[in-house]
Amino acid sequence: MDKIELKNLLFLAKIGIADKEHPKIIEKLTNTFDLIDEMNELDLDKVQPLNNPLELNNVSRKDSDNDRNAKKDFLENSPESDEDYFIVPKIIE
Amino acid sequence: MNFKTQREKFRSKSISAKEAVQETIKRAKTDKLNIFINCFESEALSKAEHIDNNFAKFKDQPLSGVPIAHKDIFCTKDLITTCGSRMLKDFKPPYDSTVIDNCNNAGSIMIAKTNMDEFAMGSSNETSFFGPVSNPWSENLVPGGSSGGSAACVAADITCISTGTDTGGSIRQPAALCGITGMKPTYGLVSRWGMIAFCSSMDQAGPFSKDAFGCAALLDAMASYDLKDSTCSKRKKICYEKSLNDNLGNLKIGVIKNIEDLGIHKNILNSYETSKTVLQGLGHELKEIDFSELSSGICSYYVIAPAECSSNLSRFDGVKFGHRSAKQKDISELYMQTRSEGFGDEVKKRILIGTHVLSAGFYDAYYLKAQKVRRNIKNKFEEIFKDVDLIFMPTTLDQAFEKNRESSDPNRMYKEDLLTIPANLAGLPAISFPNGLKNNLPTGGQLVGNYFSESLLLNITNKIQEVTDWHKMTP
Amino acid sequence: MAQNDTLVKGWQPVIGLEVHVQLLTNTKLFSPARNNFGEDANTLVDLIDMGLPGVLPVMNEEAMRQGIKFGLATSAKIAKTMIFDRKNYFYPDLPKGYQITQLHFPIVRDGIVDVDGKKIRIHQAHLEEDAGKSMHDQYDSKSTIDLNRSGVPLLEIVSEPDIRSAAEAVNYLKKIHQIITYLDISDGNMSQGSMRCDANVSIMRPDSKEFGTRAEIKNINSFKFVEKAINFEVKRQIKCLEGGETVEQETRLYDSTKDETRSMRTKEFANDYRYFPCPDLVPINISSELIKDISNNMDELPEEKEQRFRKVYKLDDYEAKVICAERQTANFFEEVSKNCDPKLSAKWIIGEVNALLNKNNISLGNSKITPDNFSSLMAKINDGTISGKIAKEVLEEIWSTGKNAEKIIKSKGLEQISDEAELESITQSVLDNNSRQVEAYKSGKDKLFGFFVGQVMKETQGKANPKSINEILKRLLSG
Repeated sequence: MDKIELKNLLFLAKIGIADKEHPKIIEKLTNTFDLIDEMNELDLDKVQPLNNPLELNNVSRKDSDNDRNAKKDFLENSPESDEDYFIVPKIIE
Repeated sequence: MNFKTQREKFRSKSISAKEAVQETIKRAKTDKLNIFINCFESEALSKAEHIDNNFAKFKDQPLSGVPIAHKDIFCTKDLITTCGSRMLKDFKPPYDSTVIDNCNNAGSIMIAKTNMDEFAMGSSNETSFFGPVSNPWSENLVPGGSSGGSAACVAADITCISTGTDTGGSIRQPAALCGITGMKPTYGLVSRWGMIAFCSSMDQAGPFSKDAFGCAALLDAMASYDLKDSTCSKRKKICYEKSLNDNLGNLKIGVIKNIEDLGIHKNILNSYETSKTVLQGLGHELKEIDFSELSSGICSYYVIAPAECSSNLSRFDGVKFGHRSAKQKDISELYMQTRSEGFGDEVKKRILIGTHVLSAGFYDAYYLKAQKVRRNIKNKFEEIFKDVDLIFMPTTLDQAFEKNRESSDPNRMYKEDLLTIPANLAGLPAISFPNGLKNNLPTGGQLVGNYFSESLLLNITNKIQEVTDWHKMTP
Repeated sequence: MAQNDTLVKGWQPVIGLEVHVQLLTNTKLFSPARNNFGEDANTLVDLIDMGLPGVLPVMNEEAMRQGIKFGLATSAKIAKTMIFDRKNYFYPDLPKGYQITQLHFPIVRDGIVDVDGKKIRIHQAHLEEDAGKSMHDQYDSKSTIDLNRSGVPLLEIVSEPDIRSAAEAVNYLKKIHQIITYLDISDGNMSQGSMRCDANVSIMRPDSKEFGTRAEIKNINSFKFVEKAINFEVKRQIKCLEGGETVEQETRLYDSTKDETRSMRTKEFANDYRYFPCPDLVPINISSELIKDISNNMDELPEEKEQRFRKVYKLDDYEAKVICAERQTANFFEEVSKNCDPKLSAKWIIGEVNALLNKNNISLGNSKITPDNFSSLMAKINDGTISGKIAKEVLEEIWSTGKNAEKIIKSKGLEQISDEAELESITQSVLDNNSRQVEAYKSGKDKLFGFFVGQVMKETQGKANPKSINEILKRLLSG
């Protein structure tokens, strides 16, 4: 795992870490991947992946509404808002 | 005071719910172990009054008049819910989680939210933004994690029950390290609605108490089919407390072959051997099982859990709730700074691992492979459960350890989840109970059962506790 | 090959469309908040749409039914099992930091749409949730977020790159619009964003076996702009390649005010959506019983309706096609035909009504013309109360007032004069007042016949029955 890759991960995960901290982070990540990589010794070709332990199916709901809107609370408890909207720094496209 | 006594005092009107709460809060206020993140004294008192005023309605509820502490991972309406993170330091959810709802309806009174590893990522409670929790048995030691505060709360006799969540051992390991009983139910038995997600496909809430009886009553309250959780299992409601009286007959219990090869401390192995004798004494048959796949569980877990958490924690972006950095000259800086300031090191590390294992070119090599290992583990359990009714093994490799432990092995903490992780990967229920005292510190034994065998697990643990006293030890 | 008429300066455009259609459910895809357009900001936001910590999605089964309908209407394969995935990226109007969508196991695969006789293949259609809206015009240095749209169910319909011209793209889009409105699974309103389109555009030499590098154009929100955006992009790519440059694989934004596409700022790193199965949702098996049930209860499709109209109402191919182009119009026609001559109604709908709609650029449903007032007009034409010319005038009055034809005719005194005696006396006086012209006519200037008709019409303000005038004039002039 080199530095460029870490920068890409930080970009994707939106986490800011100062450059001088990078070697330490890379070392930590590398250690963890050493542990994970033990998995490579297993023969898994014929195994189907398992996403969810119980393998339930067909859970859905009827198309009926339930009003749990709390606009005022939602906005007031947000970091920045006016009476109608959540507010963020200007997004430049 | 154990759960049964506490509840009986209320039911027999020898104390009111309000008095029970007052006594509990008095104890909580003397806490020096950093067990709580927030206490809710006035809310607790008014809830207690409500219960006292409606005695007839609450009397026969499973948790009637019993003060409880909840892990700070369960959303509580209008009451701060932090998940142990700076990100949610002041976050007031606009809704109650199903677990909180159920416990309230069952007549318990929440007095506080307990400290925990940040977003439940950790096994020592040291990753909490609110500082580490100390082990009631020795202040220099960790209580385990991530539900360390909840385990310590019961072990320190502040409350007789508390809730936790278990993704890779976060109930069972602190239960073992603090000398109490704790259970991770089958995935899908307890609703995850309102429980802040770490790894959605493994997270499961469960009870802590001194003994199996308290756990059974609390699980009676917690478990419910919930339409708000698509992964919740629709099942006929069982009364766990009542089923403690069922006759178990003679069970076949699997024990781990060549367990000495797993790097488990001799104190733990000693207790394990003793417990095996107890099980045999109760008329059960022990059968050695081969579980060499155990160790691959760790690899799988440390791919899947970070992968899911990297996505689950994306909602903490400083836009709609929670922390937002003051540095926000543009949206990109807002994200980067907010998440950098709001998350601690362990959380960041796991997000980065998760981001990596899901990213283009690595998905097959890591994520998909880990899901295949997961299938292997599930298959292995299925095979084992053809031969035995339950599996018995230690909960941890070692007893409670020192805070800020230095180790030559950087992966030591992760590897110590060896014995708890497999049940999470397969979604199976497992219970940890105190099974010894070595060097004046508790050890824990763990029983893993087949899907939805909670009543069996609680029942056998209760039977063990009827003939042993380890669950009565206090620090 | 016969498709050379689609070449632009010797280049073959290759186009695939991704159409996002908002479904007409009561509630959102994964939350019980109402799904509606045009309400106050942030009032249709559930805990789930906020992406609050601890909330969990549960799938709306009506959205699934609507997706299946689309699959059936396009002769597609309906998934035996569909699975929802998470698509991870950060954007302020995406509350969870991921969108729940379907990548590997979409609800619909391998469909076909017939566009003027050409089969355009649908690669897949999948269910996903819409994002909220961010707006940038309220504050100088801030953007605002409205989450009403967050979680609205979308069906994303992805075509194969089978389209060869901008015009064909528009026709394909119109066909999709027709299908979804016929199925009543979307209102298809492009101006309100309930139907949106991204276009993948590349060019190649006609003899080439490989497609060129494609650019994805986002944000196209009208049929007109689809055509313009693609035409611009094709020209841009031609210029690129002929100027010795290469076309970059990128996302471009269509700017309708400048009529151009422009590159969206390329980021330092390419985005990587890190799709994986959403662990909060379970796989959904779609049974053949469910499909059968939906199929049995499905509304008539355009082709079926056209065929029925030809048979039942004796419309010709052209009439049937135009009447059935929009479901609204077809329903209107059918309603009106309960009481009126279908052929006459069809003629008026196709001609005068459509002309008014086009001129005013609104839909039939939003106009004041109703089956009721339109029927009253047809009846008055049929029984000879008014002439075709007067009928146009009455229709315009209906258009602006919504009044019944009978009322309009009465209040304006527009009844046709068919009384022979009255007409004869008017005609006689016209002839008396134009004796010079009568003489000229009689001496051979046949063309003047029209002049007399005009004069009688003028006298009667157009209310005279033209057939009667002809007869009376002929009689009087030959006398």
